[in-house]
Amino acid sequence: MFEFFSLFFIQRALIIGLIIAFVSGLMGPFLVYRKMAFMGVGISHGTFAGIGLGILIGISPIYSGMAFAIGLGIFIGFVSKIGKISEDVSIGVLFSFAMALGIFLINSAPGYHTDIMGYLFGDILAISNGDIYLAMITLVLTILWFTLRSRQMKYITFDEDFSKVVGVPVTIDYYIFMVLISLITVAIVNFVGVILASSIMIAPAAASRLIAKKFPTMIILAVTFGMISVFLGITFSYGFNISSGPSVVFFITAIFAMAFALSKIIVHHHAA
Amino acid sequence: MVKVDDLTVRYDGRIAISKISVTFDDGKFHFVMGPNGGGKTTLVRAIVGFLPYEGKIEIDGVEHSKYLKKNSIGYLAQRGFQFFSFPMTAIEVVEMGRYRFKENISERRRSAMRFLKALEMDEFWNKRIDEMSGGQQQRVLMARALATESKILVLDEPLTGIDSKAQSLFYDMIERIKEKFQLTVIMTTHDVGFVSKYADDVLYINKEIVPHDKAEKVLSDAEIELLYGPKMEIADRHLTKNENV
Ligand SMILES: Nc1ncnc2c1ncn2[C@@H]1O[C@H](COP(=O)(O)OP(=O)(O)OP(=O)(O)O)[C@@H](O)[C@H]1O
Ligand SMILES: [Mg+2]
Repeated sequence: MFEFFSLFFIQRALIIGLIIAFVSGLMGPFLVYRKMAFMGVGISHGTFAGIGLGILIGISPIYSGMAFAIGLGIFIGFVSKIGKISEDVSIGVLFSFAMALGIFLINSAPGYHTDIMGYLFGDILAISNGDIYLAMITLVLTILWFTLRSRQMKYITFDEDFSKVVGVPVTIDYYIFMVLISLITVAIVNFVGVILASSIMIAPAAASRLIAKKFPTMIILAVTFGMISVFLGITFSYGFNISSGPSVVFFITAIFAMAFALSKIIVHHHAA
Repeated sequence: MVKVDDLTVRYDGRIAISKISVTFDDGKFHFVMGPNGGGKTTLVRAIVGFLPYEGKIEIDGVEHSKYLKKNSIGYLAQRGFQFFSFPMTAIEVVEMGRYRFKENISERRRSAMRFLKALEMDEFWNKRIDEMSGGQQQRVLMARALATESKILVLDEPLTGIDSKAQSLFYDMIERIKEKFQLTVIMTTHDVGFVSKYADDVLYINKEIVPHDKAEKVLSDAEIELLYGPKMEIADRHLTKNENV
C-alpha cells in the first residue's frame, strides 16, 4: 500500500483529483441552487470540441480545450441573458453540437487516434505537467473568487433585482462566475474525461444539499464528499485495476445515495 | 424628491402606463392606488430602475440613471418571497441592504440586527427565510429595505399578508423616520383604510393618472366607480376605515 502512494502517477492523480474535488465543492452548491446543474455537461462537451480542434491543427488540446470551454461558458451566459431563457436550455441546444463538432474535427485529422477514449473517460496515466499547473491555477482563482465574490453570487442567486438595487455588479459577477466554472470544468475533464466531468462538479453538492440546512455547512460537506470520493476512487482503481475516472464517479454516486437515504431518515425522524 | 415627467412604459410594445407626470416630495408618505393591472408595479419598477421607459425621471435633482449608480433605493417587491431559491438566513437577507456601506463583517451584522429588531424579528435572525411564514418573510424583507437607509423608499404592497401588529410596527416606524430623515416614501396598496389615516398624498393610476381631489385623500363614490368599476361596494370602504389598528 505504501508503495502505491509513492508511485509517481498516483501522486499526480491524487494532487489533481483532490484539487478539483475541493474547487468543485466550493462552486457546485452555487450551480445546484442556480439550477445550472447541466452546466458541467455543457462545458465539458464544449471542451471536447476544443480538444478535437487541437488534435486537428496540432496544438496541445489542453489550450484549445480551455479556449473553447471559456468561450462556450460566456456564450451560454450571453444567450441565456439576452434570450431570457435558462442556462440549461441554452446548454441543451449547444452541447450535442459541440460533441458532434469535436468528433468531426478529430475524424478530419490525419492518423489514427487511440486517445479518444482517454479524452472521453479520463486516463490518469496521461496526466501532464500542464494539467497539474492548470489545476493549481484553478485552485488559486477559485479561492480568490470564493473570498472576494461569493457573497455577491449568493445575493444574486437569492434575489437578483434587489442585488441590482443595492449596487452589486450583477452582469460582471455573472460572467466571472461562468468563466470560472468553465475553467474548473476543463481541469476536471483532464482528470476524468468529458463524459464523467459533471458528476464531480454536481453530485457532492447535490448530496450535501440533501442533508445540510445552512449554506456554509453545505459547502464544507460538498468539499469533504468530493475529496473522499477522489481518494477512495483512485485507491480502489489501482487495487482492482479499473479506470480511476469511473471508480471516482462510483464513490461519488454512492455518497449521494447514502445522503439521499439519510435525508429520508431525518425527515422520517422529525415527522415521528 | 422623485420627479416623474411624462412617463410611458411599454411591455413588448403594449402600453402599460401612459404619460404619467407626478412629483413625490421629501418627508412625505405617498400612496399609489389603482385596480389590479392598473400599472402601480410598473410605475414603481420604473422608478427603481428595472424598466426601460419614455419620459424623464429625476431624483433629488439628479438624472435617474446617474442617481442609481451611486445610491440604493429601499425597495420591497410585490410578493417577493415567492421567488426564493437560496437558503439565506434572516440576518443575511437584511445584510444585503447594507451592501453599499463600508462596514466590516461584525459591524454589518450589528447594523442588520438593528433593523431586524425594529420589526421584532431579531429572535429569528438565524432562521432560513424560506422556512418562515409569508408574513415573517415580508417583515424580514421590510427590514432589508429599511436597512439600505435610503432617502427613497419604494414599497410595492408591502403589507399583503401581514398581521395588524406588524402593520402598526411598520407604519409607526415610517412615521417616525420619514420626517426625521426627510424620506420620500412611495407605497402601493389596496388598503383604503390606511390610506385615509397615513397618506400625505395619494396617486391613483389606471394606465393614466386618475384625477381626484387632493384635499380629500379619499375618493368620491364617482371616482371609485371610475377607477375600480361600478361593482365596488361603498360600505366596504367605511368598514376598513373604522377598523384601523
Ligand atoms: N412583465 C410583464 N410583461 C408584460 N406585461 C406586463 C408585465 N408586467 C405587467 N404587465 C402588464 O402591465 C399592466 C400593469 O401591470 P402592473 O403589474 O403594473 O399592475 P398593478 O397595478 O401593479 O396590479 P396589481 O394590483 O395586480 O399588483 C397589466 O396590464 C399587465 O398585464
Ligand atoms: Mg402590482
